[in-house]
Amino acid sequence: MLTERYLQIFVTLADEQHFGDAARVIGITQPPLSQGLRRLEAMVGAKLFERGLGRVELTPAGVALLPYARRALSAIDEFHDAAIAQDPDGPEIRLGLAPEVPASVGAAVAAACGEAVHGSRVTVTSAPTSSLVGQVSSGRLGLAVVLHPAVLDGLQAGPVTLLRSWALVPTSLHPDDGQPLPLRKLDGLPVAVRPRAEAPAARDLFLDTLGLHRPGGGTVVVTDDRAGLAMAAAGQAIVVTPDDSLQAAGVGRHRLIDDPLPVRLRLVWPQPRTPNALPPEVMAQLTEALAEP
Amino acid sequence: MSARIRATFDDAGARGWLHAVSLDHPDQTVALDPDVVVPIASVYKLPLLAAFCHLIDTQELNPREQVTLAPEDRIPGATGLSILQDPVTMSLRDLAVSMMTVSDNAAADALLNRVGVDRLAQLLQSFGLEHTRVRRGAAGNLSELRRRTGTSDVDAAFAVLADNDQTDPVGMYDAAGMSASSARDMTTLLASLWSGRLLSEEQTAFAQRLMQQQVFSQRLASGFPYDGVRVAGKTGTFGALRHEVGVVVMPGGDAYAVAVFAHAARGDYRLPRVDAAIGEAARLAVDQLR
Repeated sequence: MLTERYLQIFVTLADEQHFGDAARVIGITQPPLSQGLRRLEAMVGAKLFERGLGRVELTPAGVALLPYARRALSAIDEFHDAAIAQDPDGPEIRLGLAPEVPASVGAAVAAACGEAVHGSRVTVTSAPTSSLVGQVSSGRLGLAVVLHPAVLDGLQAGPVTLLRSWALVPTSLHPDDGQPLPLRKLDGLPVAVRPRAEAPAARDLFLDTLGLHRPGGGTVVVTDDRAGLAMAAAGQAIVVTPDDSLQAAGVGRHRLIDDPLPVRLRLVWPQPRTPNALPPEVMAQLTEALAEP
Repeated sequence: MSARIRATFDDAGARGWLHAVSLDHPDQTVALDPDVVVPIASVYKLPLLAAFCHLIDTQELNPREQVTLAPEDRIPGATGLSILQDPVTMSLRDLAVSMMTVSDNAAADALLNRVGVDRLAQLLQSFGLEHTRVRRGAAGNLSELRRRTGTSDVDAAFAVLADNDQTDPVGMYDAAGMSASSARDMTTLLASLWSGRLLSEEQTAFAQRLMQQQVFSQRLASGFPYDGVRVAGKTGTFGALRHEVGVVVMPGGDAYAVAVFAHAARGDYRLPRVDAAIGEAARLAVDQLR
């Protein structure tokens, strides 16, 4: 059966000419993208793209079918818009949250979304900053809370909100005395950091600042805060996080003197007239929700 | 190829624009959003140089004319006459040398005053540069910067742009308010400058020499770490903007015009990863064209 997703894969791949880029724009991984394309080509009975090293190009059949796919997709979008207008449950607000956003802060922004637009339904997804920015640009998300600094080509963005960080330090390294610690002293264990590609500019700023204040000690890459906390509990890593709720036995919570590693967050949203864009006055309200978490 | 170049900028935490063209085979190009109009910062000194040299060819300006610049008449900058303390008397062509080799703001401003903004605009039009606008000299840019950041001196204004804890002032990097161009316009200018169509033989050699004497090698030249490859360029730096446009000449003599503009996510004064990404992107483009 021909689905919206197949059309989306076709059109996005034609625009991006790159499997990885297209997958990122759609917000899926590469294997389902490749599989979707194969199924669509089987359905059409012709190859739509020539695959080269790292790049893809439309075949003549692809060129011929592309305008039809675009028209079909825009008709589906119109259908969605019309359906939302009929929907007794009200309009949908799609919110994206970067994984570094503490649970309570994400919850506050989501709650503010519900209050800002009467009768709306709020759906929330979590994804790395680099993926969220693409999803907001394409209009798949109405807004997102992302790490700053990030490349925000053409997006609207609110002010930078700074969240103070905690250092979660194994008690084997420092007693759980609640005392603020200088970052310089925390060189006995590596600091847990999430993968760089998720948000290169923000991650580099973190790593550069870490390197300035704490020349030794190194870092260890973890997939998420759960893994980081588990490594701290095992006495293997230090976690730097603004999240008040992360805790574990054998891990002490300390402020860092002068707060050299705050988490910087920004609300981003698409240009007006993009699908799923919210009115400017609503966005002004929501940037306040992030500013006063 | 453009996806790989885009990934290079993504990895460095910057938005990038690029156009590269083989000077011997102008139909061979590599492009990443090459027609987007971007604020070009000090890259404006290249079209200004081309116009200045043209006015020497037409004998409207005398390159040996002496100009005396008092410290209070000179605008701030990081290099050249901008950082000297006493009055300086130089010829117009030596002002051009300082403007191009070390991106001297004070020298460029004095030269722009002699060329004139309106005369410059007409010349750029006649050079076929549709998207290139030189709005004001650096003096105008700096007063605009102070206004937008609400600061009274230039250092404080740049500190606002460099602060990662603050949002950039609205419109700070809008192409509309500043000197601006597209990557394709810059390679068009470089190609006609290198072909000898634009200027006399003497002025062509002069302009090329100044670009070859470029002292900053962190950007385009960093992508070609071989003494046999010659890179002639002009950089542009303002807040989070990092640019360089230039010509890369391979040991065999094959030459490529490359224009790379980048807008970094971070505002720090030093962004070595973005500088290196400019070199890497240029290298990817030139390798594709070779």
